[in-house]
Amino acid sequence: MKLRITLLLLAGVLTSPAQQLKVIEKYLPNGFKILMVERRDAPMVAGGWVAHVGSANERPGMTGIAHLFEHMLFKGTPVLGTKNYGKDLEIIEKQEEVREAMRQESAKMRDEFRRGLIKDPTKPENQSEKYRKLEKEFKKLVEEQREILVKNEFDRIYTGGGGSMMNAYTSMDMTAYFITVPANKLELWMWMESERILQPIFREFYAERDVVFEERRMRTESTPLGRLNESFWAMFWESHPYSWPTVGWPSDIPAITKAQADEFYATYYAPENITLILVGDFKWQDCFKLVNRYFSRIPKGTRKVPEVVTAEIKQVGEKRLYGEADANPQIDIMFHTPAFGHTDSYPLRVVSRLLSTRTGRLYKKLIDVEDKVATDTFAANYTLKYGGVFTIGGEAAEGKKPEDVEKAVLAELERLKEELVPARELQKVKNNFAASEYRKLAHSHAILHQLMRYEGSGRWQEFNEAGPKIQAVKPEDIQRVAKEYFKKTNRSVAIYTRKPGSKKDTEFAGLTSQQIPFVRQFVARLKQQKDVAGLKAQLGQMSAQLEKTDQKNQAMMKVIIKKIQERIAELESK
Amino acid sequence: MKMKAILTLSLAVLGLNAVAQPIPDRPEKLKYPKLTFEPPMADDFRHQLKAGPVAYLVPDRELPLINISVSVRAGTWLEPEGKEGLADMTGYLLSRGGTKSWSAKDLDEHMAFLAAQLGSSIGDTSGSVSLNLLTKDLDEGLKILREVLTSPRFETAKLKLRKDQLLQNMKQRNDNPRSIERRERYRLVYGDDFFLNRLSTKASIESITQDDLKRFHRRWFAPKNFIVAANGDFDVKQMRAKLEKLFAKWPFKGSTPSPIPTNYTMAKPGIYIVEKDIPQGRVNVVLPGIHRDDPEYFQSQIMNDILGGGGFTSRIMNRVRSDEGLAYSAGSALPGGIYYPQYFIAGFQSKSPTVAYATSIVMEELEKITDSRVTDEEIDTAKKSYIETFPQSFATKGQVAGLFATEEMTGRYKSNPNYYRDYREKIEAVNASDVRTIAKRLMKLDRAIILLVGKKEDILKGHPDHKAKVTDLSKGQITDVPLRDPLTLE
Repeated sequence: MKLRITLLLLAGVLTSPAQQLKVIEKYLPNGFKILMVERRDAPMVAGGWVAHVGSANERPGMTGIAHLFEHMLFKGTPVLGTKNYGKDLEIIEKQEEVREAMRQESAKMRDEFRRGLIKDPTKPENQSEKYRKLEKEFKKLVEEQREILVKNEFDRIYTGGGGSMMNAYTSMDMTAYFITVPANKLELWMWMESERILQPIFREFYAERDVVFEERRMRTESTPLGRLNESFWAMFWESHPYSWPTVGWPSDIPAITKAQADEFYATYYAPENITLILVGDFKWQDCFKLVNRYFSRIPKGTRKVPEVVTAEIKQVGEKRLYGEADANPQIDIMFHTPAFGHTDSYPLRVVSRLLSTRTGRLYKKLIDVEDKVATDTFAANYTLKYGGVFTIGGEAAEGKKPEDVEKAVLAELERLKEELVPARELQKVKNNFAASEYRKLAHSHAILHQLMRYEGSGRWQEFNEAGPKIQAVKPEDIQRVAKEYFKKTNRSVAIYTRKPGSKKDTEFAGLTSQQIPFVRQFVARLKQQKDVAGLKAQLGQMSAQLEKTDQKNQAMMKVIIKKIQERIAELESK
Repeated sequence: MKMKAILTLSLAVLGLNAVAQPIPDRPEKLKYPKLTFEPPMADDFRHQLKAGPVAYLVPDRELPLINISVSVRAGTWLEPEGKEGLADMTGYLLSRGGTKSWSAKDLDEHMAFLAAQLGSSIGDTSGSVSLNLLTKDLDEGLKILREVLTSPRFETAKLKLRKDQLLQNMKQRNDNPRSIERRERYRLVYGDDFFLNRLSTKASIESITQDDLKRFHRRWFAPKNFIVAANGDFDVKQMRAKLEKLFAKWPFKGSTPSPIPTNYTMAKPGIYIVEKDIPQGRVNVVLPGIHRDDPEYFQSQIMNDILGGGGFTSRIMNRVRSDEGLAYSAGSALPGGIYYPQYFIAGFQSKSPTVAYATSIVMEELEKITDSRVTDEEIDTAKKSYIETFPQSFATKGQVAGLFATEEMTGRYKSNPNYYRDYREKIEAVNASDVRTIAKRLMKLDRAIILLVGKKEDILKGHPDHKAKVTDLSKGQITDVPLRDPLTLE
């Protein structure tokens, strides 16, 4: 690895570090942008590319398509993934015919459901006979296709070639695909990636839609705060397409069609909307020659990429969300802040660091004090392509409420408006940003990921330019942005508290639905009971029986025994 | 003529002349330059310090950063009964509770000003104190590191704070289905008496005193229990001298820890269900696993890769996810145990009605790999993957130092110093009949433990399109696993 780095040290304090990552930027005539970084420390290449499209480019009714599309790009090409491309296409066409009939039936069922004539048609048991018949027909075609499929061949070729860490992600602003290959397999990367951009085939489209729905169930619907966070996010953005979740609304994911995906591909996966990024052990001239040979064959796009015009409308009043969940009481406050690369984003980043970490203001004021209000706090400024979010909050300490945390957090934000940040405190924060300029260069894979994120958000040059801009932040800048953005009318507040009864549910977990009412009744009678000796005798009997009881009843006995013990303790303490 | 010259020139500038070379129609037709890679050898970096520890020093003058990590042979197995959580607490507060000459607050401030990262932790089978700093601060950092290692203060205010934080965390034990799944799996695999399952409770955390921390620290944090890994911007000779100084004249002797326990007991085969109101069931199929020194270890890794370890190239992923769309993540793992055999696990998450069906597919695949030979293509892909990604283990100097230190700590440096040198050869030697042999040995389905976390009623009901029922998945009985009180674990 040969990086040109200079470091200025003044009086033992880091200021203005000027290390630059050397990035070669090139273009192909068809519009591809290429970024290349040479690093010689290990015989491998981290390669990725960013399509400048994310869920912000979607519209209601097809939310989740950018992400579903990302999944589809692993399904192969005319030569990868099938034994018989001609037949494959034929079957896909037949499948679409059946699907069209299913869509019509779905629309009918949705209409009947809206009018209360049928139960939820997303559940198989409520679907019409016609729909179920069509579904069976469709399944036959899937099985027919399976005969000629070469399963996950795209992945297998890479795996056999020593590819690793292959994955992709979709965000609101971008879709990124990446992998690490051995240095001698650079051409394999070129072949595979240019091939799937040139001619992806959307096989197993509908099964993959189900996979995405399972992903949604896993990340959003089966986590303690998944749905509430999604709801808070949707409340925060009023007009901007950031409001919907990248994974898509549950109504939309099963409604996305292959025709929509085809259209989406033609619009957003054109060369001028894609940046290729390679970091690793190569000579950039050789690498660029290969890029040229493989990626020049992809034709220019046929249409202009539509701009995301809808901007976030100015907020007019504070918004609040109260939610209950299987989670400790906590608060999350979000403020609208400017987009990626905006001049105010640098002082805001400094603010987030001033407030967070173990030597930050929130820790010192809220956590590390005698009468603490929180056991955990956070502060961060996220810059997205079309807007930013400053988020701050924490978990309430035992005996405190999220509202207490709110008050303390807001007081810290007020302080930023009233007092200039002392020089040494600011320097401490800047020193950490300066050191991270080195730390971020430790691994090719990490460099690739940062370049992808910066490029997808707007400009890769931020990789080198953000550092000096942060070093230039003055106390007055911090005061100014605090006044500008930390306003009541610019904030949304989410307060989460523990779902009542979830403790009780825990207690009765493992009991059958017949046992629970019985135990409840028993507990109710127990509360009338005042005879400690009698209770103790009963306890002794039950404990003796416990071993002999079968497994099904043991769980219930244990709960009952525990309840008797609690009652005895209660009576004895009086 | 002139026109042509300009054209050629511009093509050359753009590099378009390369287009002339045809692109093969399939990737298998590509020819690659030869890549030879020889892994670094431990002995080239290993230093036996006079002061006690072995150190692995891997210089890297590229960036003005130095990384030093002191690993220690200590873990939860050394906790006295009733003091569960002591190892973790000691590890956490060691670098965060002040030292002889630094209050916790001043030390935090000082390190933050230097942009140095000081951290410490103690896990189940080892602990570590690590320091990442700018080259210019090395001497200052080492002085502080010595104080952290020899005379931590464990300030009582910080102890109280950490207790409060841990109790808050503890309340969330039954909140996330993923953590419930992991905890209950460990109980089923190793039994409640195994040290990995002796979890902290409100009572055990509250009982921990400053004296407990000091005693635990002085007992185990002695140079004879240390292994050092350092990488970054230093000269090896100089660093070695500095480390000798760091560990010289230790103020206390310390004890040698007892061996890590191996007294685990696996639950009876059968189905275990934890009730949780979520729309998706989390499924684990668990079987007894393997030790990393097992003579059939490499075979077992290839077998697992084909079965479910190899991501999209594996059978479980192909069937559960790609064919049927029943899960987002689906696969298996068979890590080699270091001190005790690890377990085999196949797992996925699927909507409640299809849990039984998806599990039946996984069971089918476990059976199939014992019944019939894997294809040449499968075994070839798996082996190539292991061999070609091998250099990645050594991609950075930090990885190299850390990997050798772990080899030293876990005893393989002594027992099998050529492990990495021979690694690719061992993988290459695995063949299809080996895979079947090890599959037959490990995939004994009548021993399977199936753990389900989710909505029991919906999971048992199944799906109208599929015949599979939970009750058919195992000959063993169905056991309800009640969630225990998060603070008392009763």
